[in-house]
Amino acid sequence: MDFAEFYRAAKDDCLRSVLVSVGDRDTAQELVAEAFARAWASWGTVSRHPVPAAWVVRTALNANISRWRRRRREVPLPDPGAVADLPAAGEAADGPVDAQIMAALLRLPGRQRQVVALRLFLDLDTVRTAEVLGIAPGTVTAHLARAIATLRDDLTSADQQETLS
Amino acid sequence: MNDDTLMTTVREPFTAVHMDTPVEQIVGRGRAVRARRRILGLAGAAAMVAGAAVAVTALLPAGHPAGAQLAAWTVTGQANGTIRVTIRELRDAARLQSTLRADGVPASVTFGSEPNPSCREYPGTWNLSKSGIQADSGPPYIFAIHPSALPRGAGVQIGGKFDFAYSIPGHPATTYISPWPPPKSPVSGVVRVPVLMAGLVQASPQCTGLTSRLDG
Repeated sequence: MDFAEFYRAAKDDCLRSVLVSVGDRDTAQELVAEAFARAWASWGTVSRHPVPAAWVVRTALNANISRWRRRRREVPLPDPGAVADLPAAGEAADGPVDAQIMAALLRLPGRQRQVVALRLFLDLDTVRTAEVLGIAPGTVTAHLARAIATLRDDLTSADQQETLS
Repeated sequence: MNDDTLMTTVREPFTAVHMDTPVEQIVGRGRAVRARRRILGLAGAAAMVAGAAVAVTALLPAGHPAGAQLAAWTVTGQANGTIRVTIRELRDAARLQSTLRADGVPASVTFGSEPNPSCREYPGTWNLSKSGIQADSGPPYIFAIHPSALPRGAGVQIGGKFDFAYSIPGHPATTYISPWPPPKSPVSGVVRVPVLMAGLVQASPQCTGLTSRLDG
């Protein structure tokens, strides 16, 4: 498989996986684009990876951890009066995605969101998810079970509230 | 709702999300990544030789006699509620974190390592002028945190690391700090420099200890 073919086939699911983890469309797209660029630069190695898309997602998530360092280039000035312009955390939902579902995902702890994203969009099994995230398979199972339980409670109660209103 | 139905319900709305970056743009960026790797390989080797001495010099306040015993950092409360953090050396991050939390600031502090992986960036905080944090370039590095101006649910993340700084021949007036921007030509004057930053993260027990600021 050449890189262009891989990119066309995997780019949307990689973006969706990272979007669930970082919660912001523009950030996710930037991270995934950079991760694909790194995949191109190491395509000889990445193409032999059992799941190259998982390599891209893992690289994008790692880049997100380092990304905060670049904020130092801003020259901050205090303007406490302007904080009212900031969006509330609950407004982080990405445009094209149902706000209720996005909010429910964003309320999950970060690791649970990553596990859910890899299962949802890359269809990784427990062992492969554990390899990608560098955690034990049992931990993946526990995270997924908790995430599903939380999402079910969250989305079911939201449906009931809509029904009542 | 069984597990499969739930997963389908969660997955379905994301079908509207598409990556629209052209592959040509990805490949162009990939070429820059390759070039940067070659350059940083050389820069890293040079920095290993001169790094430690340069770093210590850079951390001392200008004019201070070498070898003086300095506190790594100081936290002081101002009458207006502002908390002033002065960092002179990248040491004792855990104690600085504890001190800030004891002062009611949800905080995560790391020096010389990646930030706490449990921390999630607070949405919409790329403009730090609206974050309730003021930072002066150093050394020493001074952050003024205005707890009452922190957005609801936000905490403060402070990090310090050593990066590579270098010049690109032909652009002597500019000093670059890796990894951005990627150099396209040989670099010179490579040194290790301490870099401090502060930003907002979503407050949580795993990241900032406190889940909200403690006023008063």
